[in-house]
Amino acid sequence: MHGEMPGFFPGRPGGEHDEPLLDMILERRPIPPGASPEFHGLARMLAAVAGPAEPGDLAGQDAAQAAFARLASRPGTSHAALRSARRSLSERPARGRLPLAAALAVAAAGLGSTAAAFVGVLPSPIQHFAHDTIGAPPPPHGVSARPLTVASSPMPRHPRPSDTGSRRPAVSPDPVSDKTHRGPLSVHGRKAHGAVPGHASCIPALGQDDGGAAGDAQNSVWPSPAPNQVKPGATQSPTPSGPSQNRASPESLPWPLPSAMKGCPAGTTPYQETHASGR
Amino acid sequence: MIGGAFGVTLANARTGDEAAFACIFRDVQPALLRYLRVITAEPEDVAGETWIQVVTGLRRFRGGEQDFRAWLFTIARNRAADAGRSRHRRPVVPLDMTEAAQHPTTADAADQALEAVSTQAAMELIKSLPREQAEIIVLRVIAGLDASDVAKMVGKTPGAVRVAAHRGLRRLAGQVAQAGVTL
Repeated sequence: MHGEMPGFFPGRPGGEHDEPLLDMILERRPIPPGASPEFHGLARMLAAVAGPAEPGDLAGQDAAQAAFARLASRPGTSHAALRSARRSLSERPARGRLPLAAALAVAAAGLGSTAAAFVGVLPSPIQHFAHDTIGAPPPPHGVSARPLTVASSPMPRHPRPSDTGSRRPAVSPDPVSDKTHRGPLSVHGRKAHGAVPGHASCIPALGQDDGGAAGDAQNSVWPSPAPNQVKPGATQSPTPSGPSQNRASPESLPWPLPSAMKGCPAGTTPYQETHASGR
Repeated sequence: MIGGAFGVTLANARTGDEAAFACIFRDVQPALLRYLRVITAEPEDVAGETWIQVVTGLRRFRGGEQDFRAWLFTIARNRAADAGRSRHRRPVVPLDMTEAAQHPTTADAADQALEAVSTQAAMELIKSLPREQAEIIVLRVIAGLDASDVAKMVGKTPGAVRVAAHRGLRRLAGQVAQAGVTL
C-alpha cells in the first residue's frame, strides 16, 4: 500500500476511507458525483474496457459455431470421443495429403526411371530390359551385364582399400551420404536408384578418386565445356580423366536432357555420355 | 450479461440450438478476449480452446449465468496456463502488425480504431499492474465475477482478492491522473 499512490490521498497513506468507493467501481455501480476526479477517470476507463465488443472480438464466432454444430449434435458421446473428433478435424488435412504425396512420389520415380533408361545410365541388366521393352538405347559396349545380387543386409558396406579403383563404380542410392560405396549394387540400392529422380541418372565419373573434392561439391551445377571442347562423334576414352574433361555438353546429347540431369552432382557423369559418343 | 433470459438460452444451447449458442458467445467473448490479453500472449488461440471445452461440457453444466461465467473463465485460465507452458517449451517470435493493418481506410473504421485505441490504452494501463492485481481487476470488472468466484479461481480468500483489487485500483487511478488518459 505504501508508495503505491504518492500524494493521492494527502495525509492518509492508507486511504481506507475510499474502500466503499472502490467496491462500487469494482461492481460497476455509479459512483457519487462528489468523488474525486481520479476516481471518476478510473470509473470511465474501466467502463470502457468493460464495454461492448470491438471489431475483431467476434472474429472467432464462425469457428466456435462450427465446433458447436459438430460437437453438440452428437448426444451421448464421451469427452474422449469428442476430443478424438476434434483431433481428427485437425488431422484431416494431413491425411488428405498422404495419397497425393505417394502419387507424386510414384510418378516422379516412374519419370526418373524412364528418363534414366533413355539416357542410358541404368545398370546393364535393367538397361537391356528397358531396351527390349520401351526402346531405350542398349547398354554400353564393353560393360558386362552383371547379375543382380541381393544384399544380405540393407546396411551399406563400408569401403575397403581393395574396393577402390578396381571395380566399375556402382550407382549410389544417395550420392551425398554414400560417396564411397563401391560394392555390388544391392536390390535396395537399385530400388532407391529409381526412387530418387534427381540423383538417379548420375553416376560417379569413371576412375574418379573416392571422396575427392569433386565428390564434395554435390550440389554444384554440372559444368559445361566450351563449344569446341566436344566434337560430335568424337570418341572419348574410358580411362580416368579429370572431372571437367571429356564431357559432352547437355546440348550435344542425342536425346533431350531431362531436367533432373542438369542438376547432376559435380564429379558424376551421365553414363550415356560415353555410350553416345562411342556410337 | 444476458440476465433473466440466460436460463432459457443455455437450455436451448444444450439442445443444439446454434442461435442460442451464438447469443452466449457474443455476450462472453469480448470479456474473455480482454481477460486473456492480460494473462496470455496467445489470447485468440486460448479463447478457441476454451470454447471447444465449453461446448464439449455444456451438457453437463448446471448453474446460472454467474456460475457459467465463473466456469468459462476458469477454463480459460487453465488453458492459458497450458499455453504458457507450451510456449516455454517452444518459443516463437511474434510477427509485427503490417502497416496497412494499422491505418483505417474509412470514417467508420477510423472511429472504431479510435475507440479501440482508447480501450487498448486502458488495457495497457491494467496490464502494467502487477499480474495478480491486473487479473483480479479484469475478472471483477470485465468478466463480472464476484469476489468469491475470483477467490476460487486464483486460490485466495475473498478478503485477499478484495485487498489486491483495491490496491490495483488505487494504482490505476494514480496512473490515469498522471497520464491524463482520455476516454
